[in-house]
Amino acid sequence: MYIALAVFIVGMGWRVYQWATTPKSPVRLGMFPKPATKGGRFWKMLKDTFVAPHSAKIEPKMYFFSMLFHVAALAAFVGHLRILDEYPILPDLLGEHGMDTFAAWAGSIAGTLMLVGIIFWIDRRTFGPYKNLSVPEDYLLLFLLFGVIVMGDHLRFVYGSFIHADTYQAWFQSLLAFKPAFPDKLLTGNVGWSLGTHVLFTDLFLIYFPFSKLVHAIGSLAANYVRSE
Amino acid sequence: MMEAIRLETLTGVIDKKMNRQLKQYIDICARCAICKDACHQYVGTGDFKYLPARRAELIRQIYKKYFDGAGRFMPTLYEARDPDENLLDELYDSTYACTGCRRCMYYCPFSIDTAWILPVAKAILIAAGRGNEMLGQLADAAIFKGENAAMFEGVMLSGFEDITEEVRAITGIPEHKVHVNKEGADILYVALAGAHSIRPAAVIFEETGENWTISMFEAANYGFFYGDTEKARLITKRYIDEANRLGVKEIVVPECGHAYRVAEFFYEAWSKEPMPFKVSHILEKVDEYIKAGRITVDKGKIDGKVTYHDPCQLGRNGGKFEQPRDIVKAVTDSFVDLTPNRAEQWCCGGGGGIVAMEEFKDMRLKSGIKKVEQLRASGASVLACPCENCRLQIEELNEVHGLGLEIWQVIDLVVAAMPLPGNDAAASEDSAEA
Repeated sequence: MYIALAVFIVGMGWRVYQWATTPKSPVRLGMFPKPATKGGRFWKMLKDTFVAPHSAKIEPKMYFFSMLFHVAALAAFVGHLRILDEYPILPDLLGEHGMDTFAAWAGSIAGTLMLVGIIFWIDRRTFGPYKNLSVPEDYLLLFLLFGVIVMGDHLRFVYGSFIHADTYQAWFQSLLAFKPAFPDKLLTGNVGWSLGTHVLFTDLFLIYFPFSKLVHAIGSLAANYVRSE
Repeated sequence: MMEAIRLETLTGVIDKKMNRQLKQYIDICARCAICKDACHQYVGTGDFKYLPARRAELIRQIYKKYFDGAGRFMPTLYEARDPDENLLDELYDSTYACTGCRRCMYYCPFSIDTAWILPVAKAILIAAGRGNEMLGQLADAAIFKGENAAMFEGVMLSGFEDITEEVRAITGIPEHKVHVNKEGADILYVALAGAHSIRPAAVIFEETGENWTISMFEAANYGFFYGDTEKARLITKRYIDEANRLGVKEIVVPECGHAYRVAEFFYEAWSKEPMPFKVSHILEKVDEYIKAGRITVDKGKIDGKVTYHDPCQLGRNGGKFEQPRDIVKAVTDSFVDLTPNRAEQWCCGGGGGIVAMEEFKDMRLKSGIKKVEQLRASGASVLACPCENCRLQIEELNEVHGLGLEIWQVIDLVVAAMPLPGNDAAASEDSAEA
């Protein structure tokens, strides 16, 4: 995990550095209509990147499932932040039990939606009329993501009723302190195996991320800005 | 295995052409294929090689093999490969066929400009000795004309004199003329080859009393279509030098899509020096003239429902959506827009120099199917279209599909709607014949 995070951070940094140090296109590549002001262009960049209204118009089905996936992935990521630290306000409002119930629902929904999204993508890429466009990189990423999601869902659906955030938090905090320790609950039955597989897929995904088309996570902002220049 | 020297030459092109945007486009494309439904050529033919992401993918495959660490380490993962003959065959078709309409960029969630990746493809093809010959020859002919202007002067002047006579017949004013080599003129009008591009513009300029002069060179730029930036620069430079010599304040380009984009958006980047004059499209000027009352147009002289086609280079890529529409609306009450329109307008299939390349004719006509559907659905009988390549393509579609459209330049519509003696005489002749 340490290696994966290091590769991810350094790799992404290197990618951004490469972009930043390559001379800008001498030609203005913007298209119309485009906002007249810098602020307007900035907002349009955010809208084009996070809402992508044009893509929604031309292929609503792909847009729907892609948005579903990305929003669910964001929700899942935010949910995972509980393993760093407990949220400040929600637990006070919901109570400890209420918070776990909320997390169970939110995690289940996000995990299911991500699964739906990834199955749609696998189907589209494998059986679509333009499947020849796909290269092994696409399938590798889908495989890794599928592994991350399925094992995450497994943890949530099979063990979610008795392992809550506090257990994962204790485990993750030990990792952060460079003193890995496994709470007893994680060592019962096949929990460790499930968690290990989930983490393994996540590590491989993070390691490959900077060398793949997933750098669109950052690059799309820059490219969408150029659209309005 | 490819010969090392040839390989170095071809990959060297990518190295030379690399810039931030190109790198990002190559790095971030997710091959989601949302662009497939945006491209008139893919929609019209269903042929994989015309799918925009596929066109770019060919360049990415070479890039991955020679310029990307991950691609060098795991070429199979990215299908990274050499620019061999198989790749170049597909690259030729997919690249020279592209009209550069950038409709794929409009719909792409990352706004990837495939038309900005294809100049690299064209440069590779040229370096491999596989640039399109027709476009190359047309570009060279234009450069030759620039270098030997004196050789062509007599023919040009005689042509301008003939057009002057036609202008006088229309306006009825014997002082009206096509001004040539007029130092101190405010406007240099750079027309297309052919009287049709000069005559109506001259009528309009003369009627407004504009201080203008005609360029000895045409605005069309086959160097741009060919994919050779240096040739494209030299072709444009012909009239830029002329504008400098005459001391004009403004260059006005004609009803041509790419000519406007070249002059307004590309030339300064190519020449690396700022232009001391403004660039306008003829329709911007005409719109100003009508709104300022410098010319008068009457509604009712154009029969039938009139629609308007946004040429991609003028609309989506040039930002001129409203001025042409305002002009058309000024000459008719029966205006109907195509659907979709403006930035979402379908490319007609005639841009990028494709009408000059006979080998793409069948595909070109197939790729016009969306335009045909749009035109049919509009119920219009008259089409105003301010781009020569678009008009050539739509005229052919009109004939093949029996659309029964009258296809006009916008400035021709304007002149026809002006209360001029030549128009009245033509109208009288028409009614006498009836």
